Amino acid sequence: MSRATLWSTADMDEDLAEAVDVQLSMYAQQGQNSAVYDQLGAQMEQLEPFLAIQQHMAALAAVPDVVKSFIVSFQQAILNHDLPSITMFYTTTFPKLTEKFYARTEWPEPEIIAPLLSSNEATEDQIHIFLVLYRDLYYRHVYSRLHPNIDDRFHSYENSCELFNYLLNSPSSADDESDEPAPVDLVLPEQWLWDIIDEFIYQFQVFCSWRSKVKSKTDDEILMLADGTGVWSSYSVLNVLYSLIQKSKINEYIIALKEEQGKGGARTAEEIAESISPYTALPLYRSLGYFSVLGLLRVHVLLGDFTLALKVMDQVGEFLLGGSSFGAKANKPSITALPTLPATHISTHYYVGFCYMMLRRYPDAIRTFVTVLNFFQRMQRMRGYGGYERKDQYDQIAKTADRTLALYAMCHSLVLPGSPFTRLDDNITNTAKERYGEQMGRMSRGGGDTLGAFEELFLYACPKFINANSPPYHDPETIGLMLSAETADSGEGALASDPTQRHLRLFLSSAAAQSPLPTLRSFLHLYTSLTTEKLSSFLDLAKLSESNREETAEDLEAEEAIQEMMVLKQNSRSVSRVVPAQGITDKGKEASSAVAAAKGSLLEGEMISTSDLNFVIDDNTIHIAESTVGRRYAGWFIKNTERSQRVLDEIRASPLPKPKPATVAAPPPEAQKKPKTVAWGGARA
Amino acid sequence: MIRNFRFRLVGVGVHDTSRRLYGAKSFFVSLSKIIMSSSWISPPTRTELIENLVSGVDRYNPSNVGILEDYLYHQIRSQEYDCLANLAILKLYQFNPDLYNPDVVVNILIKALGASPLPDFNLCISLLDERPPNAALDEPDPLPALLPLLHGLHHLLYRCRFPAFWRAYRSEQLESLRDNYTVECAGFEDSIREVVIRAVKSTFTRIGTDRLSLYLDLHSPEALKAYIDKLDWTLNSDGTVVSIPPNPDNQIEAIVVQESIKLPQLGKVISQAAKV
Repeated sequence: MSRATLWSTADMDEDLAEAVDVQLSMYAQQGQNSAVYDQLGAQMEQLEPFLAIQQHMAALAAVPDVVKSFIVSFQQAILNHDLPSITMFYTTTFPKLTEKFYARTEWPEPEIIAPLLSSNEATEDQIHIFLVLYRDLYYRHVYSRLHPNIDDRFHSYENSCELFNYLLNSPSSADDESDEPAPVDLVLPEQWLWDIIDEFIYQFQVFCSWRSKVKSKTDDEILMLADGTGVWSSYSVLNVLYSLIQKSKINEYIIALKEEQGKGGARTAEEIAESISPYTALPLYRSLGYFSVLGLLRVHVLLGDFTLALKVMDQVGEFLLGGSSFGAKANKPSITALPTLPATHISTHYYVGFCYMMLRRYPDAIRTFVTVLNFFQRMQRMRGYGGYERKDQYDQIAKTADRTLALYAMCHSLVLPGSPFTRLDDNITNTAKERYGEQMGRMSRGGGDTLGAFEELFLYACPKFINANSPPYHDPETIGLMLSAETADSGEGALASDPTQRHLRLFLSSAAAQSPLPTLRSFLHLYTSLTTEKLSSFLDLAKLSESNREETAEDLEAEEAIQEMMVLKQNSRSVSRVVPAQGITDKGKEASSAVAAAKGSLLEGEMISTSDLNFVIDDNTIHIAESTVGRRYAGWFIKNTERSQRVLDEIRASPLPKPKPATVAAPPPEAQKKPKTVAWGGARA
Repeated sequence: MIRNFRFRLVGVGVHDTSRRLYGAKSFFVSLSKIIMSSSWISPPTRTELIENLVSGVDRYNPSNVGILEDYLYHQIRSQEYDCLANLAILKLYQFNPDLYNPDVVVNILIKALGASPLPDFNLCISLLDERPPNAALDEPDPLPALLPLLHGLHHLLYRCRFPAFWRAYRSEQLESLRDNYTVECAGFEDSIREVVIRAVKSTFTRIGTDRLSLYLDLHSPEALKAYIDKLDWTLNSDGTVVSIPPNPDNQIEAIVVQESIKLPQLGKVISQAAKV
């Protein structure tokens, strides 16, 4: 019985009863208890709420049955802490229903579906929590498929705050007398928890970039923004993340795990967790704390603070990036105690590598990128979408991996060619050349168009930086100034205040300082010793004709050459977390120590040389020494020896073919006749 | 109008206890320490109070900006340098635009110039958000005018164009910078000279005195000699060439990176051979 049409007010009284009856009978069919009936009856007294309810009921009936049953069973699963079904609902059923029914519209609003939820024996609180979680999914859908308007943004912020408030500050249950907040009795799949944090930061980022576009705001929006200065403020976002980290004591937990491992102790991960705090004992909070650390890394990078981002990852970073790859080393139980999702893995490495790149620590950046790109390639070879049920999730990861590849291409060109690091992984280099070959060629050649190529890739691959503060909406005078200023010089004004442009300029200045260097290197390759005059004459030939070249005196050119040499020297040293093994000098001495394991926080490191071309200037002569990598044959031989041994063992172990009776007698007498013959193992058996 | 500098005097005990009296060699000690190691992350001159501020959540508390600013002035007066603490100040300015103090920002940038070739200067710039035009400041903001000049200086330092740097620094254009800011910063020129020494030390084994004096901007032979003596570098008999003592960077050897085969790797092969 369709009820989608609006009732005209004249007919209201009559049809009112009818409408209510039919609706209530529908509830009765579903086995509703009388409480609902009474509740609805009470609400009927007032006119306005009734209209609202009427509309809601109308909308509710428009909701397909499949969706209704999904919502009810979803809530049931959450109440029962049934993790497998929750996971299934979240990862499979919800997207399917979205595709089918709500591809272009919103899901039904929470108020509409609220009546459905009272059917289970759920308390007010539990219904409330389910609605908060439902709203999380609702707004995520709005942000991803549709365009959120200002109301959506404000409400989604309030909802997130409510959710986090519930998780962090819910009062303890009635039987516990203390006033301390207690951990919440909720079980959610890890993927959902990561998505909550991820989405929270994403909404924050989107809001900030929307907020800074002053020109496109209507007057209403300006008023609303002026009033709501606390909404999506940087402080509140940071507050949430820091509180989650502090509540769950995730850093202490990791320290304890490491200690336990170091001591070789027998405590399991759970025991350690319980000993730290009741919050840590719950996987919900552990996962949230861990994801919040990764979220904090991301927020700091978005705000442009790279050292703080790396500092935040102090404990976690060693665990995640200390050289172990995803899923390896299964015999270390502590590693599996923290959640690992492919999305977090890729996202974290992307941000950490980007920080290293902005800190000009290119070897570290390259190492980080190579780790994650290898992992991603393995994931690609898995069947389906790398284990993900949904293509859109996989797409997101693929996009991040693509940007990581672009960053790798840039770092590869910035580390001077010939360094041991560029030989690190030819596989990844080939992939990068396939995808970005044209830009890589432009970047490594040096010369005119280098910066253009860098700019292209940087703008594609960099994170979407944000301004921490909003334009001063509460100050109408200033806003007026900004608006008029923007209309005057619309192009430049907007660009100058864009944080992305600021970071791009910094990066380009570093890259520009390095552009003359490949030419210099190529000259140095040819000599073992060289005078500075000769070098400067080479550089003259190499330089394109410049207008004032005739005016510069010779010694000035020599001076330029020397200064470039200093730059070359400076760029061939870099801070790195991992000090590679040095080889043996040609004099036979063992030069410096063996590989120093990567340990300590992510910011630490020592100066290492990244170039195989080493030089020194002795007054006016340049002495050059080149390092080479000797032939590596040991690995090949060992591998093949072991393989041959394996084959031989297999042959020995396999049963002998049945000898024919005639020849049986022959071999034994022969063996006895010649005892000195070398006996093969097989014949003796 | 020349902007007046006022150091903010905070309660006496906090910073005086932290000030260790180095001798004349103090800034040479810092020379070796400005590498990105654990001492860059937390310099030994940092007090516990600052350490707690920088490493904890208190760094976001706007009322702590005074403590960090005073620490900056302490660094200026006593030739110390603490990059992460200065970045914490800039971050507070990022979140609380009303706390913004352009003098502090210029001082931080000047200090960061002395850390080249480390990326400190770039890190500071990354944290300087664009400010909306407003008349809240009682005096006009000197930063937008000075920023391109500072960028230029930094670029020259990064590209090791030292004579050009000194020319630019002493030019007319940067007079306001010199008069108002760098004159207050104790040992600013010395810290730039440290940058030069770092670059020269790694590239040269011997260098001519006129070239060195050009780089260091020490034009009288006596001043140059005094400087070289402090560094323990030696002059040859003519007085024309300076020898630089060996360090890991200016000793070059052609290294052949051979693989070092360790016994455990051969273990399997040897044990199988022994079985036969």
